[in-house]
Amino acid sequence: MHCAGFLPIKQDLSSLFKDSRIVGATGVSNESNYIDEMFADLISRSFISLSMEREFPEIIFSRLKFQWEEDTAFLSSILEISMHPSYQQIIGMGNAAIPLILNEMKINPGHWFWALKAITGEDPISPEQRGHIDEMTNTWIRWGKENNYI
Amino acid sequence: MRQSLIESKFPNLSEINYKITSPYSKNYNCIAWVVGETDRWWWPDPYYQYYWPYNIPRTNTLDCFIKAFTTLGYKISTTEKYEKGFEKIALFAKNNLPTHAARQLESGHWTSKLGPQEDIEHFDLKSIEGQDYGKVTVILKRRKNITTYYS
Repeated sequence: MHCAGFLPIKQDLSSLFKDSRIVGATGVSNESNYIDEMFADLISRSFISLSMEREFPEIIFSRLKFQWEEDTAFLSSILEISMHPSYQQIIGMGNAAIPLILNEMKINPGHWFWALKAITGEDPISPEQRGHIDEMTNTWIRWGKENNYI
Repeated sequence: MRQSLIESKFPNLSEINYKITSPYSKNYNCIAWVVGETDRWWWPDPYYQYYWPYNIPRTNTLDCFIKAFTTLGYKISTTEKYEKGFEKIALFAKNNLPTHAARQLESGHWTSKLGPQEDIEHFDLKSIEGQDYGKVTVILKRRKNITTYYS
């Protein structure tokens, strides 16, 4: 999916690149060089993005979170929200996802409670707090600090 | 901006048949809204993270939702038409699983909280049926002025 996102850009630039070479051959070498560099830069960014995603969980998390938020933006059902494939993949990231989730909750509280409970096996939420999103968020952030995740 | 987002998700809504009636809030959902709460998210999740009446099973079924509303004085109704002296709730389901609830207003229109998004007033129930909420599956009603609170 990530790869596919880059393909149209790559293809467009290939044709641009080809045209520019022709212009370059007729003497506009500065423009040709500039496009050459721009193309090389964009291609390298594509490859860097793919390799970075493998190395940096932040990038995977960000991509999955975006898809999850987009697809569940109007849902009320916690079952549907939490069973979304992207959310499940975030759970599948295991411990690496904990600080990412907690830092996200600091700036943008959301339905991360199932994920945190599933990954950590902990449940710091009291029965009185159930459903109170801000209180639950603060409780998990406190838990994260106490357990040195953030 | 907000309207275009809502209308893109619910193509049967347009400026002539609904209006936004509250700001965005992640603090409550449609179930809380139909029972008059705006400070907690109701759902019968088996992970015990969200609010659900303690004496009602935490299963994601229509039966479980009907039981919860029954304890608030609601009974099954055969019609969504406005009846003087009654409050009505419409339960939506997709593949027989509950997805959404709307409450009828004095005007006969309906009010819905769209997940964490805004509350809207909409003229009819059909206009929010579709991919996210499925179809209206159960109508419940109770006499007005019955007030039951859960702690």
